[in-house]
Amino acid sequence: MSSMLELCDISKNFGDIKAVEAVSLKVNEGEMLGLVGPNGSGKSTLLKIMLGISKPSSGRIVLNNWELTEKDWRQFRKQIGYMPERVSFYDNLTGRETLELFARVKGGSPANAIELLKKVGLENTVDRKVGGFSKGMRQRLNLGQALTNDPDFLVLDEPTSGLDPVGTKEFYKILSDVRERKNLTVVLSSHILAEIEDKIDRVAVMKAGSISAVGSLEELYSGLNLPMRLHILIKDRDTEVEELLRREGATDINYKDSRLTASISRADKVRILSAIMERKESLDDISLREPNLEEVFFGIH
Amino acid sequence: MVFTDAMRAIARKELSDKLKSRWVLVIAAGFALFTLVISYFGGATSGVAGFRSMDATIASLTSLVTYFIPILALTLGGGIIADERDKGTLEIYLAAPVSVAELIAGKFIGLAIALILSTLAGLGVSGIVLLTETGMSAVSSYLIFMLNSTILGIIFLSVSFVVSILITERARVIAFMVFLWLFFTILYDLGLIGVLIITKGAIGEEIFSGLLMLNPVDVYRILNFLSIGELKVFLGLAAVELPAYMKMPVLWTISLLWVVLPLIMSYHFFKRRYLA
Repeated sequence: MSSMLELCDISKNFGDIKAVEAVSLKVNEGEMLGLVGPNGSGKSTLLKIMLGISKPSSGRIVLNNWELTEKDWRQFRKQIGYMPERVSFYDNLTGRETLELFARVKGGSPANAIELLKKVGLENTVDRKVGGFSKGMRQRLNLGQALTNDPDFLVLDEPTSGLDPVGTKEFYKILSDVRERKNLTVVLSSHILAEIEDKIDRVAVMKAGSISAVGSLEELYSGLNLPMRLHILIKDRDTEVEELLRREGATDINYKDSRLTASISRADKVRILSAIMERKESLDDISLREPNLEEVFFGIH
Repeated sequence: MVFTDAMRAIARKELSDKLKSRWVLVIAAGFALFTLVISYFGGATSGVAGFRSMDATIASLTSLVTYFIPILALTLGGGIIADERDKGTLEIYLAAPVSVAELIAGKFIGLAIALILSTLAGLGVSGIVLLTETGMSAVSSYLIFMLNSTILGIIFLSVSFVVSILITERARVIAFMVFLWLFFTILYDLGLIGVLIITKGAIGEEIFSGLLMLNPVDVYRILNFLSIGELKVFLGLAAVELPAYMKMPVLWTISLLWVVLPLIMSYHFFKRRYLA
């Protein structure tokens, strides 16, 4: 996969504060890259540097193997769709007028406003003023405005911030539908790790202005060798199963309400499962859970 | 710089806001009402109520406009950037293929048109009534008064953009706008009079007239009194003469500088503040 945008040794200082420090990161064409980290870790600053809103104190930004100059940014921005974290828009404009405005500003086609409203599930609000929109509707409109110039590169800063689980699910469904129709490159920042782990191709973890780790989830999992969590539902408490687990190298073994849990290493997985299956008559159910991105994230931290 | 699609869209949005919210209509009606009241009762202190000569009316209206238009224009543009920042839309503009000059010019043009429409409509309606009552002979003086009043509004709109970029907290913006209004309409001239008194008039006419040019409200007053030939009414207190070269075209050029320079400052301050 070819790299579309490359940040080379980027740093950004605000006075004595180092907001971003020596970050090198490639964004590959067509991928969905998650940028995760706690609040204040430098995610938004890094996104603004990617958009050319904030100038790096040092480092280079390379687009398709071409180092961006001041003049190139305007051209590059024609391909960018940006969704800031929180936008309330103009209360007295309708959904259609809002998208028409940003289409004109960004060089898109105002005629596509209604089609875009349909795409983001706001077809019933074409002539409704934004002042009466819910938070979820405003976020969908925010995604709509990011798409008004038919971008190739979409930058989403905490796109589901403040949304309830239903709104969050709907948002990602819309984003997924949009990506099905067009091969968009997406950079998505979030501090809600569990929310994006099944949606992203790669993840870059930020901590105190630096990238702590970057790669696919599998790469991060195997690189960190985090233990998997074994869940066993047993008919009656069987201390022999617990003993077996201990003997085979499982750790953190707990029993509560007919449920036995233990941590096992990836390397021991097959061997331990085979040993447990020899006592399958005393088991009701068994499941093995991968560490989620949150565990990877905190593992790194 | 050409009038780009982005600039046109931003300008249209600003103008449409003011038209939809009936701002233009209310301000125009207010202008018309105040000017007619001032025109009719302007001579009431001498015991006579009624429409007087157009020159006397313009002198009275000049006083009204020097207070009314600056505060109107300052509040119109004062929150323009803070509003965008609070709404989160400023970042969308910054990430769009639109230059800072286009953004500022678009907003300025939209608001300037709203201000021009309301000023011309308000003063135009009262002008028709006044000219009907006082005769058409002074129509050119009144048209120049309308033009000068419009320029004064645009000057303060331009100044408000600088404030809007430098100060982002709404409460502080309002406080600073009130201070600017007081400074230009009252305090500056009080200060000049104070300087004249302290120096016992030793300050030269060149310097004094130069200092007057540093206040757009004074430039506006001089322009109006020059057009009706009543400059002594304005300058009598100072007992000084304006230099001969200080004619209306020069004053209009100075007014134009008062529009352009704050906009150039806005451009640079914006880049330093939001694109650093």
